[in-house]
Amino acid sequence: MIGTLLTPALFVYAGFTAYPVGRTFYNSVHLIKPGGVEQFVGLQNYAQLLSSDLTFWRAVVNTMIWAGVAPLLDVGCGLALALCLYAGVPFARFFRVAWFTPVLISYVVVGILWMWIYNYDWGVVNALLRAVGLGVLARSWLGNTSTALAALILTHLWKWAGFNMVVCLAALHALPSEVMEAAELDNCGWVRKTIFMILPMIRGTLIGLLILSFVGKMKVFDLVWVMTEGGPLWATETVSTYVYKRAFGWQTFDLGYPSALATVWFLVVLAFVLGLHGLLRQREPLEY
Amino acid sequence: MLLCVLGGYTAFSAGPFLWVAIMSLRTTSEISASHYGLPSPAHWQQYVTAWTVSNYRTYFWNSCAVVVAAVALTTVIGAMAAHALARYRFRGNRAILFLIFSTIIFPAQITLLALFQILVKYELFNTLTGLTLVYVATQLPLTIYILEAFFARTPQDLFDAAKIDGSSELASFWRLTLPIGRPAIATAVIVNFILLWNEFLYAVVLITDEDKRTLPLGVQKFMGDRMQDIGMIATGVMIAVLPVVVLYALFSKQLIQGMTAGAVK
Repeated sequence: MIGTLLTPALFVYAGFTAYPVGRTFYNSVHLIKPGGVEQFVGLQNYAQLLSSDLTFWRAVVNTMIWAGVAPLLDVGCGLALALCLYAGVPFARFFRVAWFTPVLISYVVVGILWMWIYNYDWGVVNALLRAVGLGVLARSWLGNTSTALAALILTHLWKWAGFNMVVCLAALHALPSEVMEAAELDNCGWVRKTIFMILPMIRGTLIGLLILSFVGKMKVFDLVWVMTEGGPLWATETVSTYVYKRAFGWQTFDLGYPSALATVWFLVVLAFVLGLHGLLRQREPLEY
Repeated sequence: MLLCVLGGYTAFSAGPFLWVAIMSLRTTSEISASHYGLPSPAHWQQYVTAWTVSNYRTYFWNSCAVVVAAVALTTVIGAMAAHALARYRFRGNRAILFLIFSTIIFPAQITLLALFQILVKYELFNTLTGLTLVYVATQLPLTIYILEAFFARTPQDLFDAAKIDGSSELASFWRLTLPIGRPAIATAVIVNFILLWNEFLYAVVLITDEDKRTLPLGVQKFMGDRMQDIGMIATGVMIAVLPVVVLYALFSKQLIQGMTAGAVK
């Protein structure tokens, strides 16, 4: 009985997850050309990507900047919004719906919307700058190597802040009301209440969100592909877009090298997740 | 003061939708004349043109077919596995759950290239069937995770009582787990629907024919081909977004639960 129930899921898992992962490892030490040509090359792909592939390293730096900055922005912004709703501002229901909606929109749509927002001639950003007399600051936000990555990070924040808000709000509503009331009796202001009581009590949730956001940024592909395709001049190249380009864009017709890239990045993500989880895990659970 | 800040954030968060919704009702030449004007008159004709001439009809039905089939399969397969993992104690039970759930953190690239090779080999590349199968595999971990957590909370006594009454094990899955688990199943169905409706990476790799494109792919390619036709792009964007908005309006509670499952623990 157990077997019958589990077989379909295990079959799908084996065929479409476990086998492809193994196949990628296998690919990464081969030269894979169309028509079933496979030639063992040992660790040559790895040596090449670690020593001489400057584009790969550029992609790594971009991705790490993104994954380093964005979790703090995402969770910080989400927490601030959740605290506002928790403090009981009017129209809370309307705000929650309006703030959560971007989470549900596909990256393709988000990308197109923000390409228009960043448009040089008539985009919202430049229109606002010109309206307040700061027209000199107007620029092609996505076409400029110094602003393109920041522009993408902001767009990603726009999409995900609402998600972090909802999760934080759920954690806040689960806080024991006696403790919060006791703080109010002691005349504890919102700022101190937040720093000394709320943050320690929802620490677990915040850490979960930080790791989730970090993993998301390490994998980021869709938004970059729609908005900049990694350009201008690799300013927004991420590891994911580079793997895609090497596999399907560059006409090298070799799946071995991109597989090595994917394998390295898979191990890096795994190491980071295990490391962060071990580092940030609550050592002794808070009792209240 | 605080309300001003929140109002500003709301404009930041919802403004872009309003803008694209307005543009979807204006023709490209009207938009070029003034990018922030209101639709006067509203050109509902744009939607008819997008649907018939610009091929969005094909993309829409492709998306429907792939997503509905994938969600149905994922739900059935996932519910069976979740029932087995939640109801029966056996060696390796937790290990299987962990193994399946841990794939959620995998970067897609680790399977993407090999999936491409596999689908080419079995002549499923560039077919909606192939894309559907891949989607089932990508959504299975989250589905099993949501359902297992819920099924495990159903009291074992119910199942023991059913057994004493002579009900078979299959019947207890069919008559107890599924009806009682309806809220969790609804959550899983809705969240899988939205995630797959929006999916882009697998579609862009595994589909090449124009008439097999799903909506995100169709919208992206349309944007690439006809960059300047802003009105028609906006209309296409609205066609892609509207089903999601309708689902959100109807099932906001389940949607938020499903999207945030796994984050709150």
